[in-house]
Amino acid sequence: MVAGLVFLSIVVFLPAFGALVLMFFPSHAERAIRRTTLGVTLVVFLLTLRLVLPGLHAASQNPLEQVLHDVRFAAGEPGYQHAYAVPWISSFHIDYFLGVDGISLPLVLLTSFLSVLAAAASWSVTKHVKAYSILFLLLETGMLGVFLALDFFLFYVFWEVMLLPMYFLIGVWGGPRREYAAIKFFLFTLVGSVLMLIAILLLYFASDVRQLPENARRESFLSQEVMVKSLAPSEKPLHTFNLIALAKLGQMPDSPFQEPVLGGKSVAWWAFLLLLIGFLIKVPAVPVHTWLPDAHVEAPTPISMILAGILLKMGGYGIIRICYPICPQGGYELAWFVCLLGIVSMVYGALAAMAQQDFKRLVAYSSVSHMGYVVLGLGAWSLMPGLYDPQYWKMGMNGAMFQMIAHGISSAGMFFVVGVLYDRVHHRDLNQFGGIFGRMPVYTALSIVIFFAALGLPGLCGFVGEILVIFAAFSYSRALAVIGASVMVLTAGYILWTIRRVYLGAEYRGPHAEALSPLTTREFLIAATLSVAAVVFGVYPQAIFRYMAPSVNRTIDELAEWMKREANLHAASGHISHPSDLESGQTEDLLSHRDAPSQ
Amino acid sequence: MSSLSLVPQLLLIAWMLPLASFVFIFLTGSFLDRRGRASGFIATAAIAGSFLLSVVAAALWFGYYPLDSNHQASSHPIRPLSGDWYTLAEFGSIKLALGYYIDALTLAMYVMVSFIATLIHIYSFGYMHEELHEVNDPQVILGDGTTLRRPGRFARFFQYLSLFGFSMLGLVIANNLLMTFVFWELVGICSYFLIGFYVERSSATSAGNKAFIVNRVGDFGMVLGLAALLTSCGTLHFDHYQTTNGAHYAGLFFYAKAIQHPASELEPAEGSRSEDSQSNPETPPVTLSGPKGLTYGLLVLAGLALLCGCLGKSAQFPLHVWLPDAMEGPTPVSALIHAATMVAAGVYLVGRIYPLLTPEVLIVVAVIGTITLFMAATIALTATDIKKVLAYSTISQLGYMMLGLGTGGWVAGLFHLFTHAFFKALLFLGSGSVIHACGTNEMPQMGGLLRKMPWTAITMLIGCLAIAGAGIPLWAGFSGYHSKDAILAQVYLFHTTNRFLGWIYYLALVSAALTAFYMFRLWFLTFIGQPRNEHIFGHAHESPKSMTVPLVVLAFFAVVAGWSVPGTHWSLSALLEQARVTPLLENSQVPLFGNVVIPHEHESHEAQIHQLVSLEAFTAGILGFAIAVVFYGARWLDPAKVCQRFFGLYRFLLNKWYFDELYSRLFVRPVTWVASVAAWIDRAVIDWTVDHAAVAVRSLAHLDDWLDRILVDGAVNRLAAAIYGMGEWFRQWQTGRIRNYILWIVVGLVSLFILGSIYFGLGMHLVVGAS
Repeated sequence: MVAGLVFLSIVVFLPAFGALVLMFFPSHAERAIRRTTLGVTLVVFLLTLRLVLPGLHAASQNPLEQVLHDVRFAAGEPGYQHAYAVPWISSFHIDYFLGVDGISLPLVLLTSFLSVLAAAASWSVTKHVKAYSILFLLLETGMLGVFLALDFFLFYVFWEVMLLPMYFLIGVWGGPRREYAAIKFFLFTLVGSVLMLIAILLLYFASDVRQLPENARRESFLSQEVMVKSLAPSEKPLHTFNLIALAKLGQMPDSPFQEPVLGGKSVAWWAFLLLLIGFLIKVPAVPVHTWLPDAHVEAPTPISMILAGILLKMGGYGIIRICYPICPQGGYELAWFVCLLGIVSMVYGALAAMAQQDFKRLVAYSSVSHMGYVVLGLGAWSLMPGLYDPQYWKMGMNGAMFQMIAHGISSAGMFFVVGVLYDRVHHRDLNQFGGIFGRMPVYTALSIVIFFAALGLPGLCGFVGEILVIFAAFSYSRALAVIGASVMVLTAGYILWTIRRVYLGAEYRGPHAEALSPLTTREFLIAATLSVAAVVFGVYPQAIFRYMAPSVNRTIDELAEWMKREANLHAASGHISHPSDLESGQTEDLLSHRDAPSQ
Repeated sequence: MSSLSLVPQLLLIAWMLPLASFVFIFLTGSFLDRRGRASGFIATAAIAGSFLLSVVAAALWFGYYPLDSNHQASSHPIRPLSGDWYTLAEFGSIKLALGYYIDALTLAMYVMVSFIATLIHIYSFGYMHEELHEVNDPQVILGDGTTLRRPGRFARFFQYLSLFGFSMLGLVIANNLLMTFVFWELVGICSYFLIGFYVERSSATSAGNKAFIVNRVGDFGMVLGLAALLTSCGTLHFDHYQTTNGAHYAGLFFYAKAIQHPASELEPAEGSRSEDSQSNPETPPVTLSGPKGLTYGLLVLAGLALLCGCLGKSAQFPLHVWLPDAMEGPTPVSALIHAATMVAAGVYLVGRIYPLLTPEVLIVVAVIGTITLFMAATIALTATDIKKVLAYSTISQLGYMMLGLGTGGWVAGLFHLFTHAFFKALLFLGSGSVIHACGTNEMPQMGGLLRKMPWTAITMLIGCLAIAGAGIPLWAGFSGYHSKDAILAQVYLFHTTNRFLGWIYYLALVSAALTAFYMFRLWFLTFIGQPRNEHIFGHAHESPKSMTVPLVVLAFFAVVAGWSVPGTHWSLSALLEQARVTPLLENSQVPLFGNVVIPHEHESHEAQIHQLVSLEAFTAGILGFAIAVVFYGARWLDPAKVCQRFFGLYRFLLNKWYFDELYSRLFVRPVTWVASVAAWIDRAVIDWTVDHAAVAVRSLAHLDDWLDRILVDGAVNRLAAAIYGMGEWFRQWQTGRIRNYILWIVVGLVSLFILGSIYFGLGMHLVVGAS
């Protein structure tokens, strides 16, 4: 039990420790610094990889082997593994609480994997290498912490920890308008953080662990101290930041989060909305997305890879890990809102991408469009009162989660290939490329694989998530599915047009034609790794689903259970509309929509 | 059962061989390019292996289910083999998998695709030999005025062909619609790569983009069709399937059947048995999955949506615009992908999902097929590019297939798919041979080539006769004669039962005449008469053996593909007859602009229909041929004068009915405009708001700062200054002399007393006075 916590802590803090060690390096030893950074990320990747490798002999005499055996992640288990809480700030019941399940595991692996590639891509950064590497490693700690923290306060701390290095990495190592972009990134994210903080406090002060039945408290992995306190009789409520306990509180009958707070809406509704906006800024969804193109255009290549590949995923992760389980009522009532933002992002991002002249900006807008699929998939609450068959909903959620991983690979790849060209010819004007195929054939082949993965070509990773999300959206609302499917055409349009303008054609007529040298081995390895990953996950999606699906399905089943109970309560109360209850009008709307004759 | 159980395995290997070849060439291509033709040999060996395995599999199948004249009486009831090979994802009873669905149609397609692909691989050795060394592409002028020189891409060409072979076979064998869609997209991407094979040519890359994007428009509908079926039936499998936990679930065909016979609709109870499973004791009980949302209306919508995909892939109106442009690809590609196999995939899919199609959908198929076949035939009349003529002819013939299927002629439509594959591959390869010899596609530059290239000319003549449907009425003819007559007979039958759609038959008949005309126009312009360009004629030569041998083989099949094996009743149509499926509500009246009846196909075999149609089609064909002879063969009349006479119509046809212009105005420009609006909104609205909010906050900060300095600080400072000044003023009184202080104290006290007495005294007086 503790071994798991220690292991996860090592994973989280090893990069920070590496950063600490780097401080003692002389700043001119750039080669050593870069290699150390790469080495640290590689070790972290191997450690996280340990989670998914099969177990060793359980009864080994060698204690190291025993520990390595214990820290594996059992595939097919829906629950949290290695979850263990120790008190951190006792007076507020804040725990140091890490754990991993099928939802966070793929994201943790994606983080450690992309960090290695981004560290390898950081050779192109030549300014203040030491400071850059330190910030880079701190960033990795923040990201891993966000995905592994199961205490809301700890989550928030990691969320902020990740924000600062990112600000400096864009603001110092970025392009000409780096300061504007960095400030914009920082302020947008900070607004999100503030909204999240309000929601955290709302939930914290509404929570009371004592209301949970004892077995639920045990399942929440409460720390020993809180557990003991919760058993002692007292009038004072026992607040908690424990995400699992909060989810259990949110889904229990007579949930404390159903208290109305403002405008007749409950804590759950408001907390959902605040958290949602906070996370959607990160995703980013239209209309709070404009920090993304600027941040990407200015950020150095490896930072763009991290930004698109991992940071955006935190938004989606937050929505599935925090918003829905803790505030199901808000999720149910605001499903249309989430879906609307998702679909608008998909269409708007694709259209905006089509109009760009800057290669990197185009890729940035394609991220907005692709993350729209994630939002749509998460939002399509396709369960209707009276129809409790959650399999389409599961399909959508799994599709959205898969799309996050797929987008992590394809977008990181796209930013990398853009960076490769930029390093050579120092411009990104789409109208001044062409003929790269003749000059750099291997590079072109790898780029085309990555771009087609983004296009959603079957056999590559982008397809699985997109198609599942569209299927799931269809069962939620046919109109949404029609619009969503039309984005496929737009995506094909802008990606093929880009490929044609950049790679195909007779000759390169832009500046610095002499600099178009073939890929270096390091660059080849990065691009090839991403291409191979795109193919592997496209052909063998079970590689992700076998870890992810049980946990996602558990989340959905719990919500379906909650909904069934809530609807029964609602029916029992004879449609006396309690403001915080499911609104009868809306329920009936949804029902009639579902059963509407389709002829 | 043992011999049959081998069939899926054989087809699996046959399917995987081209994939292996693709992966191998992809990884070693640059190395193989230096080794000459090695990549070509690998790819050809792979596809030839697929062909052999397919033939063996077909032999096993037809050994088990022999073709009887009356197959109902055969010893075993014919049941397609189906099962899953590989699971992509599973959510409850929903299973997304790759698997096989094998019946006579699958096997026939397998054999045909791998056979034609093998021939075209062999042909490509000759046609693509330039790619073995450095290529000088005269069509690409570089910035400095020279033409492009580039390394050859022989291996890349065969790599794409192998990927195509794999994708096409996967599409054919698919046992569920998701798998169909996966390979549907993959053949699309192969087509994209091969159309744009000459990546340096701007026209080629733009044609590739156009092909893929137009196909995606169709696929947009197809995805919605999949979603509709998946969310209403809970499955995309055609036949019943098994999930990992061992439960069996019913497939789409079963649900469609349940719709047709609402009385027999089964309750979604555990272990209920489908009709099929009752007829075959070996199949386990089947559970119905999904929330049973399938209604007749939804089935119509789903059918129409799936049809969108078929229209895109098979280049049917209104999504036909990509195929003529696709002729930018190398000619073997045009023959394989854009004539014989991939473009027929749309027709194949309509045939495959036939049990799901309602009369409403079939009417749409028939009408679209008719519009397409007529429109494409008229455009082909004026085209001068030899490949464009063939491209429009392909669109037109695909329209015939759609028409056949749409009017209830399942065998007729698919029969034409097979015969067309042979003669159209032949015609394209022949045109490739001509282009290879002349270095141009333009027929006005050719003429008189019969002397120079007899093999090509004669085999192409056979192709022309086959496509025109030449034959001796009521007896026998080229392959096209049999298949086209079958379609026309079905259409005739359809028109007798649905009078208001009678124009369909007449348009099909007129187009048959047009077909004969434009095909012989092509042949006469190319091979007969005086050479119109002496330079080109001088350099022309017969193509190498690797190219002429496939021509001869295809010519043989173009002649005989419609015949039955002498002495038996084994023929292609009988073989397809074994797999025949019927659409929903066949032979029943459906109220739709009157009463629509999809007639049963067997009724079109009646002698009187057959005789009539055969003679009418023959007359139409002869008419078209005669006009071609008048204008281009014997040149009794000058076609240029006719063009002059009907210049408006001529220009309309020459511009391909202005579809490209229309789409550009209707879709391309509006979308790019909306895209730029979106980008503008980002900059001018959202960012403007954000930036100005920031500016506003900064201004607020400045204001705050100013207020701080002026008001708050100012007030404080003034107060301080005032106090200071007061202190300054007071200081002059601070003299340090005691007597002065005492003086002031006295003055102060006296003043206090005076003031006090005045105040109080006055008050007292007032009080006294008042009292």
